[in-house]
Amino acid sequence: MRTGDYRQSYGELVALIDSPPVWLWSAVLLLALIAAPYLLNSYALSFLMIILITVTGALGLNILTGYTGLISLGHVGFLVTGAYAYAVLVSKYHMPPLVGFLGAGIVPALASLIVGAPSLRLKGLYLAITTLAFSFIINTVILEMRWLTNGARGIQVQRPEIFGIGFDGDAAFTYLCLAIAALTLFATLNIRRSRVGRAFVAIRDNDTAARVMGINLHAYKLFAFVTSAFITGIAGALYGIYLSFVSVEGFPFLLSIEALAILIVGGLGSALGAVLGTVLIVLLPEATRLVFSLFSAQMDATFTTGAQELKSMLYGLVIILFLRFQPRGLVGAWHDVKRTWVHWPLRY
Amino acid sequence: MQYLVQLLISGLAIGAIYGLIAMGFAVIYKSTGLVNFAQGEMTMITAYIAWTISTTVSGNVFVVALGAILAAVLLGLIIERLVMRPMLGEPVFATVMVTIGLAVILRSAINFIWDAYPHGLDIGMGRGIVHLGGIGVRTGQLAVIATLLLLLAAIWAFFRYSKVGVAMRAVAADDRTALLMGISATKVHALAWAASSVIAGIGGVFFALSYDLSPAMFQLGLKAFPATILGGLDAVLGSGLGGLLIGITENLAGGYLGSGMKEVAGFAMIIVVLMVRPFGIFGERDIERV
Repeated sequence: MRTGDYRQSYGELVALIDSPPVWLWSAVLLLALIAAPYLLNSYALSFLMIILITVTGALGLNILTGYTGLISLGHVGFLVTGAYAYAVLVSKYHMPPLVGFLGAGIVPALASLIVGAPSLRLKGLYLAITTLAFSFIINTVILEMRWLTNGARGIQVQRPEIFGIGFDGDAAFTYLCLAIAALTLFATLNIRRSRVGRAFVAIRDNDTAARVMGINLHAYKLFAFVTSAFITGIAGALYGIYLSFVSVEGFPFLLSIEALAILIVGGLGSALGAVLGTVLIVLLPEATRLVFSLFSAQMDATFTTGAQELKSMLYGLVIILFLRFQPRGLVGAWHDVKRTWVHWPLRY
Repeated sequence: MQYLVQLLISGLAIGAIYGLIAMGFAVIYKSTGLVNFAQGEMTMITAYIAWTISTTVSGNVFVVALGAILAAVLLGLIIERLVMRPMLGEPVFATVMVTIGLAVILRSAINFIWDAYPHGLDIGMGRGIVHLGGIGVRTGQLAVIATLLLLLAAIWAFFRYSKVGVAMRAVAADDRTALLMGISATKVHALAWAASSVIAGIGGVFFALSYDLSPAMFQLGLKAFPATILGGLDAVLGSGLGGLLIGITENLAGGYLGSGMKEVAGFAMIIVVLMVRPFGIFGERDIERV
């Protein structure tokens, strides 16, 4: 009988995967994701694509808000900057897509320096409102720079072709999203267990104490901003390619709130939480629609007419209920289940 | 010159509306330490209820005003009791996120209950034009500036002299000590939510009177953010004045620099102000004891 979870060295403590079953299930999940584009129909595949793109973006926000504890209400600003950087480089100046993706990371990262630097003195709510202001300013800047961004008309984006491999089809594009999402997951997990990640968490838990211990608050906060914006920008580029059209309207303010909702529902400050939260939030409207249609055709009709409203009402409700009843999110619930499973019938 | 004066006056008028909503933010922040991200939506609901009263019950000014104020009080109390009170004692981040969730719910509820088309609030006044030295001003615009100034004076007196006002300041300063002194923090919170809902609601009704009701009205809340940040989140009077300042800046930027600048002038301004004074112009510096 398993009596506990023993770690004897620091290496074991920070290992990404610490037990054979986790290895096994991770491999199964990866295989399932690789097989999915062949097995799913195009409707289900579009959900998979959205989930993978959203995971990338949510992981980006997780570095800033989850690890470092800096609340950002303006992440859609980085998303739209990334999408435009890609669209301008690839569609307008006909650069290779890889350069486009690099630009989609670097341009928001530079933008994050501009918004991050004045934010260093701000805390909590003042910071949240500054980032909110940034996302509105960036929208206006994009609309005003007509020579570069076509203003309100937006830019058409083709599916990319990298190293001679075309990502035209939905299945191929899903693989691209999967590769980037997996890379991002590895990157954030590794950031979390490195010196930098520990500094982030120290700043989140108590910034005065962190400073006393010799952590350079300004440098690490800016680093969190830059990393987070880089990842979010790449997610933005993917989303732009998915929409095949980049415009300011395609990136509404609600996306910022959706991203925060994902982190809260999943469990703040956990990469696994970001993934679980994304799956739940993306599939929630669809699941509700299914439940409604089971009850009656009439309710189904209400849902189609007021679909958008009901969908956002659900976000709101889910955010509030999770904060009220499960503040640690899905990850917290998963830990509770695991503990109960191991220790039952004992409490602990 | 006349163009400038025209811009200034319409800036003051819209600024007064921002100021009212910003005061709503500040009243809640001052007594509960929260930023209420649902303020714009609460404003909007009050305005829509006023419109419904004016079309279904009676277009009489007093009926509409009384109905709207009652509705705003009720709305504030319900939200405080159902949504905010259970979150008492949770971290600020969680509670603020709850108000964001609330904002999303209210906004969709408005689109769901009423429709997505613009409506004019018609109570037989407020759209007439008065000429002041050759410049046409709407009576509604004058009324909202007057209302803001009156409310500013009233709230100043309330916090300065009344027992309840002092109790609210006590809870804001240190809720634990206030509790020990026999002040009911929950009652103070409920009062703050109701008052904030009414003050912001008045702003919303005036907005509907001068402009139109539309589902995009919640953006008033976002526009009022710069006002309350500028004045300082904990400064009720400062927020009111900040609103006027933002309104004027926005109109001048819109009039001389282009309409794109009008949208973001307020936001650009707070970024600059926060770089210099991270706690707003009239806000209190937050001194931390380690």
